[in-house]
Amino acid sequence: MTTQTRSHRALRYAVPAVVLVLFLLVPTLVRGEYYLHVLVGVMFFAYMASAWNIVCGYTGQLSLGHSALCGIGGYLSTLLFINLGLTPWVGMFIGAFCAMVVGVFVGYPCFRLRGPYFALTTIAFAEILRIWVENTEEILGIELRGAQGLSVPLKGHSPGLFQFDGKVAYYYIIIGMLLAVMAVTFWMERSRIGFYLKAIRGDQDAAEALGINSTRYLLSAMALSSFLTALGGSFYAQYFRYINPERNMGLDLSIEFALMGIVGGQGTVLGPVLGAFLLTPAGEISRATLGGKFPGLHLVIYGLVLVLAVLFLPKGLIQPIRQFLGRGAAGRAGGKSAAA
Amino acid sequence: MDPIILGIAVVNGVIVGGLYGAIALGLSLIFGVMRVINFAHGSFLMLGLFIPFWLWKLFGVNPYLAAVVAAPALFGIGYLIQATIIAPLFKRERAMVLEPLSVLLLTAGVGIMLDNLALMTVGPDFRGITMEFAAKALWIGTVLNINYTRLIAFLVSLAITVAMSLFLARTDLGRAIRSTAQNRDAAALCGINVPRVYNITFGLGCAILGIVGCVMIPFYLVSPAVGLAFGIRSFIVVVLGGIGSIPGSILGGLILGVVESVTAQFVTATSASIFSFVIFILVLFFRPTGLMGMKV
Repeated sequence: MTTQTRSHRALRYAVPAVVLVLFLLVPTLVRGEYYLHVLVGVMFFAYMASAWNIVCGYTGQLSLGHSALCGIGGYLSTLLFINLGLTPWVGMFIGAFCAMVVGVFVGYPCFRLRGPYFALTTIAFAEILRIWVENTEEILGIELRGAQGLSVPLKGHSPGLFQFDGKVAYYYIIIGMLLAVMAVTFWMERSRIGFYLKAIRGDQDAAEALGINSTRYLLSAMALSSFLTALGGSFYAQYFRYINPERNMGLDLSIEFALMGIVGGQGTVLGPVLGAFLLTPAGEISRATLGGKFPGLHLVIYGLVLVLAVLFLPKGLIQPIRQFLGRGAAGRAGGKSAAA
Repeated sequence: MDPIILGIAVVNGVIVGGLYGAIALGLSLIFGVMRVINFAHGSFLMLGLFIPFWLWKLFGVNPYLAAVVAAPALFGIGYLIQATIIAPLFKRERAMVLEPLSVLLLTAGVGIMLDNLALMTVGPDFRGITMEFAAKALWIGTVLNINYTRLIAFLVSLAITVAMSLFLARTDLGRAIRSTAQNRDAAALCGINVPRVYNITFGLGCAILGIVGCVMIPFYLVSPAVGLAFGIRSFIVVVLGGIGSIPGSILGGLILGVVESVTAQFVTATSASIFSFVIFILVLFFRPTGLMGMKV
């Protein structure tokens, strides 16, 4: 039986390692900018859904305003670049810090609300920001250009300024970011804050009765999530070299982040990644093949997947996979001991 | 600010506000009875606008007459969606009390599907109808005038509200609905078929949207995008007025209508919606049950 557990454990580490190596090798194996573009999109959404998951998956609240944080990150790093020539590598952290502050400020009163009211309030805050940016041409002498959006000045291939020719460099950067956020989630899950959050998610009143300062831990999770989301927003701005309120701060984007986190499995490390890996290619392919004739098809697919997920897989896609893996190990061990 | 212009803005706000109240009525009813947050409400209104539009475009049917088709059609659609998609969620939860987020996500998914199916089939263009007397208006004095089509919409909205109140108060089915809203277990013990009441309530909430759509289409342009805008507005109205309360719904609608109309005099129309959101947030923080609502 010990041999069984050892080889099973080796398998658990080997499979993800192989998958990771495969993904790292993709740019050498696959020729075609389009496929790389889709993969960058997949990794980006996996990253954002994971960042969203840090606060929402583990607290059970539904934030539909995360795109605002993404937009803050993108806008701030771009504005600092345009107006001060500050490299986005630094600008993105400044943007992330500001988003963190905003997230905590907005979160503080919001966390008093429960369930759907929390969701509605996050929508309201995000929409307020988006509408304000959309209608503001300039503020304090800084050009915001409202709905037209901002273009990141093209400097050619300049790694120091977070701009690269082609997509390969972006691909590796976003994989690195994704691995980082997964590591953060993994660490947080097993730390004290993770346990407190799960308690709050189970029953906030009971948790508080046990002496857990729910506000402090909820806001910590919110701060972390906001920081990471904004970093992703800066990446988004640098990858597309263009941002505008509709794309980067819109409700649609918020819904996509939440959707992938939920369909994949909230409150787990792999869940949001799985959700993104499933939905983004589906969306991209439907947009590419039929998008011209049928605008919005990919969103119909997303909506359908959401309905099916809520009805049949409420704990997310990761649930059946986990059951399969868990049952596999227990079954083998149980069978062996029963035979013995 | 010229008081006359302000006065006209207020009157227009009241007219539109009555409409908002009627739209939000269904949402309030559905939540009051079933504790279901219907994120697809705006999408149903979009359907309710498209039905009279296409009946007019293809067959030349007068939109007011189209209500005869639109209301039952939307009742049917609402009934079906509740019975097939939402009801399984009830069966899963034992005490017939839903975990609110599951339902929210479910209805959001349905709403996204409806909005984008519409987008896929008819495209994003805004469409409207033309009617002979659409341009005519009722004049009060020399400066104040109210467009006839809007006036009719306002009066119909009031009529719907009164009719709904009477229905809930006087008829057996209305009493069944009210008692289910108060305590579903007790209602079941009294022999009320609770799942059927749920289906009917959802259907009614949507049927109202069918009628409202018919009176709106003479002066309102429809496109698949209006679903989201009205969905959000309905929530603001319901939160303002108080969830589960019919007069609250009208009151919330009136307040939202007037706020939108007056602020639009000072800033652009799109910026004006910021004020609506701010009021929404303030109400949620300081008086979450709304002005006239019951406790959640």
